[in-house]
Amino acid sequence: MINRKTQPLPAGEIEFSLPVINEFQIKNGLKILFVKKDKLPLVQFLLLCNAGCVFDPQDKKGLANLTAMMLDEGAGEYDALQLSDEIDMLGSHLSIRSDEDNIVLSLQTLKENVERSFELLSKIITQPHLNEKDFNREKRKVLTRILQRKDNPDEIADNIFEYNLYGKENPYSNLSLGTEIDVSSVSIDDVMDYYSKFLTAHNSVLIVVGDTSEMQLKNLIEKNLEDWKTTEAVKKNIPEPLRKGSMIIFFHKENALQSEIRIGHLTSKRNEGNYFAKLLLNTILGGQFTSRINLNLRENKGYTYGAFSRFNYYKHQAHFNVSTSVSTENTGNAIREILSELKKIREGVTNDEIDFAKSSLIRKFPSNFETYSQVAGNLTGKVIFSLPDDYFNTYINNVKKVAKEEVNASAADEILSEEVLIAVVGDKNKIIEQFKEFPNSVIVEVNSDGNEIK
Amino acid sequence: MELLNIKYHKYSLPNGLDVILYHDKSLPLVSVNIWYRVGSGNEKEGKTGLAHLFEHMMFQGSENVPKEMHFKFIQEAGGSLNGSTNTDRTNYYEKVPSNYLELALWLESDRMGYFIPALTEEKLNNQIDVVRNERLERYENQPYGLAWETLISNLYPKGHPYSWPTIGFMPDIFYTLDEVRNFFKTFYSPSNASLVVAGDFDSSLTKGLIEKYFGEIKSNVTSSNPVSEKINLEKEIQIERKENVQLERIYFAWHTENSFGKYDSTLEVIADILSGSKNSRLYKNLVFEKEFAQDVTAYQNSGKYGGSFIIVATAKPGIALDKIKDEIFRELKNVEANGMTEIELTRSKNGIKSGFIHSLQSIDSLANQLNYYSFYLDEPNSFNFDLKRYEEIDSFLIKEAVKLYFTKPFVELRIVPESINDK
Repeated sequence: MINRKTQPLPAGEIEFSLPVINEFQIKNGLKILFVKKDKLPLVQFLLLCNAGCVFDPQDKKGLANLTAMMLDEGAGEYDALQLSDEIDMLGSHLSIRSDEDNIVLSLQTLKENVERSFELLSKIITQPHLNEKDFNREKRKVLTRILQRKDNPDEIADNIFEYNLYGKENPYSNLSLGTEIDVSSVSIDDVMDYYSKFLTAHNSVLIVVGDTSEMQLKNLIEKNLEDWKTTEAVKKNIPEPLRKGSMIIFFHKENALQSEIRIGHLTSKRNEGNYFAKLLLNTILGGQFTSRINLNLRENKGYTYGAFSRFNYYKHQAHFNVSTSVSTENTGNAIREILSELKKIREGVTNDEIDFAKSSLIRKFPSNFETYSQVAGNLTGKVIFSLPDDYFNTYINNVKKVAKEEVNASAADEILSEEVLIAVVGDKNKIIEQFKEFPNSVIVEVNSDGNEIK
Repeated sequence: MELLNIKYHKYSLPNGLDVILYHDKSLPLVSVNIWYRVGSGNEKEGKTGLAHLFEHMMFQGSENVPKEMHFKFIQEAGGSLNGSTNTDRTNYYEKVPSNYLELALWLESDRMGYFIPALTEEKLNNQIDVVRNERLERYENQPYGLAWETLISNLYPKGHPYSWPTIGFMPDIFYTLDEVRNFFKTFYSPSNASLVVAGDFDSSLTKGLIEKYFGEIKSNVTSSNPVSEKINLEKEIQIERKENVQLERIYFAWHTENSFGKYDSTLEVIADILSGSKNSRLYKNLVFEKEFAQDVTAYQNSGKYGGSFIIVATAKPGIALDKIKDEIFRELKNVEANGMTEIELTRSKNGIKSGFIHSLQSIDSLANQLNYYSFYLDEPNSFNFDLKRYEEIDSFLIKEAVKLYFTKPFVELRIVPESINDK
């Protein structure tokens, strides 16, 4: 018989070398971050345009998203269907999305088709047709999608939570899809204006990961994007959101079988506070399967299939939130347990928890560079938050050197257990009684956009 | 394509465990992936969902691994882990830094051999609660969330292994300790499993470790698998459900081919040419040009004991589902008569070929793919064989497949919004 009683120890240490990030610029101001990765004959391009829905005009919410949707509806000599065919014929994959901070164009291609694929991507960037017929169709698609939003309890929960957390004066309360009223009023001229103002070389960064060389890449980019317009990068003042005290907002979904719950508050931004202490703190509190919140709500109480927390960093703002979906009868119980975990973590973490979280993050690091998309994703973070060039080289050491006192200080500073916004999507008739347990919170019923129903 | 020629080493332990080793030293990572040849298709009516619930129980500890510690050991090592259940099989996998390979083998072997002593009523009741919540969260509380089980329970005859959903019907999700124990004894045995180790490891050391941890586990006689029979739907079935949704949605389901059957890949290509891109037949017609539908999706869904082809479309506000149905059947008739163009076929095949290369990026999905091919084809290195199944398709095969399958009776499901009066 072998000894199975204790776990086997690791066999020595592994060696891992980080990919090298090459950075260069072409004449019109477009910045390029390139990582050579030649395990497979693939190249991945990501163009980040600083043009997300925080820039939506006050009465035109949804404009950034509609502009993103219009980019591949015909470009250069191709109409929408021809363009799609040209890309598909190469076996390449194009996707365009918009989020709070960016419009992101992503293109994956085989090495053998890199020239042609990039040429097509460049046409989309510099010569989109933006014609009215395509626009009207895409707009109707968005309006239908906005209608469908009412069906998804998780989406409503996210939306009403962030809308009320940031407050409607703050652009981070914007929903990427926009609102029905605003989208109805957007015109193709608005899209053209938005495109001209935001989709410019200076306002964008191109990330490339794959089997090519810096020289080849530079030639390719200069050949296709040299004439892309240059303007100053867009700046925007984002007002600081206001803290509002403790509040429960809920959306009534008749006959809902579960309650979607979001609990959280505003926090310090990505480049403020002690980032690595916050990272360790969340790993202990709710970042993983074995974190406190999931072990309590799922593995101990059985209220849910899963419960997790995170620090959610946007370019200019940040918040902390816990998110879960629980059986209706346990709505109040789950809220109570989450609040109690938030309170408890403010009393401090143990040495074992710190060691565990450090070990987990440090040893996981090499696997964050496995796929082409993962590497590109890491570079995206570097671009959005202007992280230092040695960020990845110093990551492990930065995690290692965080002291327990720093994590405890972060818990005290960054986690609020008394002043939180609680958003619930569930059946009002079955959950309203359960809220009585939280007498310090104002209780407000909202519609699916997050506005109070009076 | 040489890139898709995956050179592996396969052997079996005396207790019957299949072992497949594959080297890739590009990163200091190693993936451990086990397939047990049991899925929801092996369940009995009235006890659906047990294979999936059992998968949950496998994370609740074993004789030498306390509750929660399976997750903790792997996460402390910086690894990732999970498991999944489908109709045909259950898999478990860890991806860890290569120096932690022995840890993953110890954990997997402990639950393969010494699961029963750690099983308790408390753990079982807890995971029954978790799985009931999983069913609520992923299906019952999602718009159109019960469409799949409505379709398959009508498409397949009573008692067929594919006639219930893998998560199980809600009233079935209560099991006794004895039922869980018996499930383990009936299906979990080295002789009913296949272990892949892929990534950066030393072959002779690893073979030694596999022998050390798995070699002593005794095999038991496992239950035989269901028999795959050809199924036909006698006549068309039409179902309408009212739900709390905004838009009407229509589903069609036909019986088709099992995995790797003669027309299986052809049906996948048909699905792609119908709905896989902006210029695909149904998308272009229904979403892009006529705007009858908000979305349309077609797919071939095949397994060991059956296969089905599904088309789903969501109607735009104010558009009658019949209009969408007419367009779909008109297009199927058109394909039956005229097939697909060379350009469409090439486009689809290029996308599929590119997908094969993309799929080699992560070591854990590659490890899983080796077990997949080993399970269905008895040959782990089947990437090129598989790709060839698509490359050989021509318009003639497409017409044959459409004629063979889409002229037969089907299940039609309509999900429509509850009107205000119904509430």
